[in-house]
Amino acid sequence: MAVARGETHPDEELLSRARAGDGEAFRVIFDREAPGVRRFLGDLFRDDAAADEGTQETFVRAHQRLDTVSGAQKLQGWLMGIARLVFLEHLRRKRRDGPQLAEEPVQIDPAPTPEALLLEGEAGEVLDLALHDLSEDRRAALLMRLDHGLGYTEIAEAMGWSLQKVKNEIHRARLQLRERLSSYLAGAA
Amino acid sequence: MSGHPEPEALEAAAGGQGAPELEAHAAQCAQCARELAWLRAERALLARRPAPRVDHLWPGVQARLGKSSALASGAARDRLRRPHWQWRVAVAGAAAAALAAMLLIAIRARPLGPAAAPPRVAQREAEYRPDPRALAALDRAEADYRDAAKVLEAEYDRLRPRLDPGLARRWDETLTRARAQLGEASAVAAEDVNARMQVLDGYAGYLRSLRDVVQHSEEANQ
Repeated sequence: MAVARGETHPDEELLSRARAGDGEAFRVIFDREAPGVRRFLGDLFRDDAAADEGTQETFVRAHQRLDTVSGAQKLQGWLMGIARLVFLEHLRRKRRDGPQLAEEPVQIDPAPTPEALLLEGEAGEVLDLALHDLSEDRRAALLMRLDHGLGYTEIAEAMGWSLQKVKNEIHRARLQLRERLSSYLAGAA
Repeated sequence: MSGHPEPEALEAAAGGQGAPELEAHAAQCAQCARELAWLRAERALLARRPAPRVDHLWPGVQARLGKSSALASGAARDRLRRPHWQWRVAVAGAAAAALAAMLLIAIRARPLGPAAAPPRVAQREAEYRPDPRALAALDRAEADYRDAAKVLEAEYDRLRPRLDPGLARRWDETLTRARAQLGEASAVAAEDVNARMQVLDGYAGYLRSLRDVVQHSEEANQ
């Protein structure tokens, strides 16, 4: 929703103050956004120390480039985009490639129900493993959508992808995730 | 509704923002009902995960940006969100804490005596006279803490009538106990500089408890 003329949107004001060099405003942005960024990086790195360091690096870079974010509404997606780049750079440094994954959608065993998933005590661990099986890019896009509630357009901007590619990747990621979760449920039944 | 809904419409429905016609369609369509169930399960699974703590990461960000004067200290940042009383407490408390810290440094830096043979303990005790400037500084620090405590106590008194009586009673007991301990420690300390430093620590702890009580009271009143 557009902000009426003369009316100050608090988030816009905060961003504007941070851009002007107000350290207090930047700290408030950190407090609001860092938990999401840390969680996102935790899911990408799967290593607490690396995720902590990546979160710090993300905010250091964000502080240096605040002029490039187009508005407070875009801030979360913009930060996720920086976080993902930080993660990719880390990967390159480590020269560690992600697993090769099938591009075609996977057929899901229709027997187990999603509701049963929520009753399983170990479902959280299985979710972690299932997420880890996704390629880094696919995992990042899926988490931006599922866990952080970003819109497809924001994800496209953060990932540098077309809107159609975002939709395709998230769809495939979902199918892979569900396949893994279904296998778990079938085994647990 | 003709045909299946768009995936984004199903996602919105999984988040509790579904149009009635979509829900009606899902009730009749096994494929969409299953998709909706999956979307809800995914959301629920992700929502179960605890939020990570990030407080410990800020000092590293601050240090790397190297602009400690421009980036907010904890107290400065809180100006954006804290109520009026915290300003006054922060000023008084910071002044007292700074004074106490300087005093501690001064006391530790002061040589104990000539480098020659150390005097006997009894003799040293007989010669011990606290530095009047140190005592004056301690008096000021204690007065600052008392001022800060008064601000918080007044704030708590204002909020207390709207609190749950049981909760208020427990907090009253906690604060009364803390004040009694502080009074006893202060009386015993007299002119013993080290003991009075400990009293200042006690004041700092009391202020923290008061601050927490006031914050909780504000939240409970919202």
